[in-house]
Amino acid sequence: MLKAEALSKHYNGTPALSDLDLEVNPGDIYCLLGANGAGKSTTIRLFLNFISATSGRALVNGMEVSAEPLETKKYLAYIPEQVMLYPHLTGAENLEYFAALSGHDDYDRGRIEEFLTRSGLQKDAHHERVGTYSKGMRQKVGIAVALAKQAGALLLDEPTSGLDPEASNEFSLLLRQLRDDGVAILMATHDLFRAKEVGSRVGIMRRGVLRAELDPAELGHADLERIYLEHMHD
Amino acid sequence: MFRHIIRKEVIETLRDGRFRWGAALVGLLLVLSLAAGFAQRAEVERAHEQAQAMSWSQWLDQGDKNPHSAAHYGIYVFRPVSSLSLVDRGVDSYVGATTWLEAHYQNPFEHRAIQDTPALARFADLTAATTLQLLVPLLILLLAFATFSGERERGTLRQVLSLGVNPRDLAVGKALGVSLALALLLVPAAALGALALMVAGPGGGAVADEGLRYFLLLLTYSAYFGVIVLLAVAVSALAPSSRTALALLLCFWIVNGLLAPRVASDVARSQVELPSSLEFQETVQRDRSEGFGEFPSQQVRQERLADSVLNAHGVEELADLPFNFAGLSLQRSEEFGDLVFDRRFGDLADRVEAQLEVHRRIGFLAPHLAVRSLSMSLTGTDPAHHQRYAEAAEEHRRLIQLIMNTDIMENSRFGESYVAGPELWSEVPEFEYDGPEVSWALAGQGTAIAAILFWLVLGGLLVRVGTSVSARRV
Repeated sequence: MLKAEALSKHYNGTPALSDLDLEVNPGDIYCLLGANGAGKSTTIRLFLNFISATSGRALVNGMEVSAEPLETKKYLAYIPEQVMLYPHLTGAENLEYFAALSGHDDYDRGRIEEFLTRSGLQKDAHHERVGTYSKGMRQKVGIAVALAKQAGALLLDEPTSGLDPEASNEFSLLLRQLRDDGVAILMATHDLFRAKEVGSRVGIMRRGVLRAELDPAELGHADLERIYLEHMHD
Repeated sequence: MFRHIIRKEVIETLRDGRFRWGAALVGLLLVLSLAAGFAQRAEVERAHEQAQAMSWSQWLDQGDKNPHSAAHYGIYVFRPVSSLSLVDRGVDSYVGATTWLEAHYQNPFEHRAIQDTPALARFADLTAATTLQLLVPLLILLLAFATFSGERERGTLRQVLSLGVNPRDLAVGKALGVSLALALLLVPAAALGALALMVAGPGGGAVADEGLRYFLLLLTYSAYFGVIVLLAVAVSALAPSSRTALALLLCFWIVNGLLAPRVASDVARSQVELPSSLEFQETVQRDRSEGFGEFPSQQVRQERLADSVLNAHGVEELADLPFNFAGLSLQRSEEFGDLVFDRRFGDLADRVEAQLEVHRRIGFLAPHLAVRSLSMSLTGTDPAHHQRYAEAAEEHRRLIQLIMNTDIMENSRFGESYVAGPELWSEVPEFEYDGPEVSWALAGQGTAIAAILFWLVLGGLLVRVGTSVSARRV
């Protein structure tokens, strides 16, 4: 579903991402681990065609994103680290708007509320203006936007930042459900614990290079942390 | 999808306190300026009608006298006030309201409303046209400067574009959304204007096709606001930040609305010279007495006329002619004067029109000037409409002279002291003016219409460029 082939991005000659080869299939949860500046967000932005690759290809459903920027986005849903919404609209209105723009303008009020509830947003906040929301609540609306799009692939850039542990846990459950529904998920995260828990594969990145690919099922939590730190320090 | 973008933009706008206050203020100003225009027009119209009726009854009741004395007594006519002038007064306050139709002279128009206005009140002359041409664009800029840049800064643009929305669709939806929010303010104002027009009545025939003219006026302003919306959306997409977008748009507003009219006047004046009032009067006077081109002086013309008439009739003395030579001489002198007036006043009108054409051409640089020209023309308050009325009044003056001089020729003897009475005065028809149709008005506005269309296309292109730049800059 998502495929990177020798994908590279340089800024004025400085590599932000070097020769990334990566494949995320339906039913996969691929977690990208790494420090700030490791190239995780760059990878996600390349798949969204927000930036163009210096070399290599980013493919969504077999199509190259730079050649089909609008068509490939139909298969993608994206949750940024900081979900930004329209403060003058309510949570439900925000979701309705984003859903309509992603081609689902047929959701009735019940369906909209269902997505919000599934994302963990408490009922009494659905029809409040987003200007009054906390960061965690906005993040939940962002999750609902991604759910409502019913896309085949999910790109997550630190999606649980600002969520409390309980909400974070609920989010992990949601991701597993989506995985079981056959969604391909690529998630950039700092959270080793979460990656170990939900990831079907884990990639460790440093300075734009994918250093290792691991199967978390074969590792204990302590092993993952040890390997991660090894890659960070050599 | 457009439906959703438009709906979201309108909801956001309506919930934004800045828009509510701005719209309330502009709405209030529109209502006040329409009301002020309505009251002012009604008062001027009443005054003009009364004065003209009084002058006409004085003409009829002037008693027995020589017809040439009556011609000198003359009639005052007062320009009817277009009912559409309650929207746009154009140059009405600056050109005179009345002229005196007397023997020998085409008099310039007198009594400019601006002369009666206290100096400071000149700056407070609020008309619906000023509100529409200056304040509504300002409201649009404040409404739309952040449509793209604001979303980019807030981060929502990135999310919207991640959904696979075509940025061009987004721009079109946003432009339509801003327009719809604006329509909530302007459609009721347009309806109020239509109501005021209906109550005001046809306005003494100042212009024809008033309904159609009002419709085209609405179309003109809609196109103008469309231009401003497109520019605001385009700049918002192109500018690196909302602050820059606002600064650029305010610069445009100042240049377009405040600076361009001043500069256009100076450019027009330097390209097309207008004689001073004194110079003009002197030239007309000189042409009439000394002649011009192939035409000799007044004295030579009179001598030649006498010779040729005596020859034609085979008599020695003017008194022996079968008609009163004095009447013929007066009429020929009038006709020569008419040649001079047609030439000089025609030249003056051409120069004024050439200056206005300079303004309209600058409309390609500042759309306000094109809209101003078209608005004045449609409301019948531009110099061209005034000139057309002046020509009709002059025709009537010439008719009076012809009737008086013919009467002297046919009904009196040379050298006799002759008087005529009310029957002759009433042979002169009362002056009635039929204002021009809208097609006549538009014929002179080709450049202005082209300039507005040019800006619409330019705005559309800028939005296209802006959206592709914006999509690269998330």
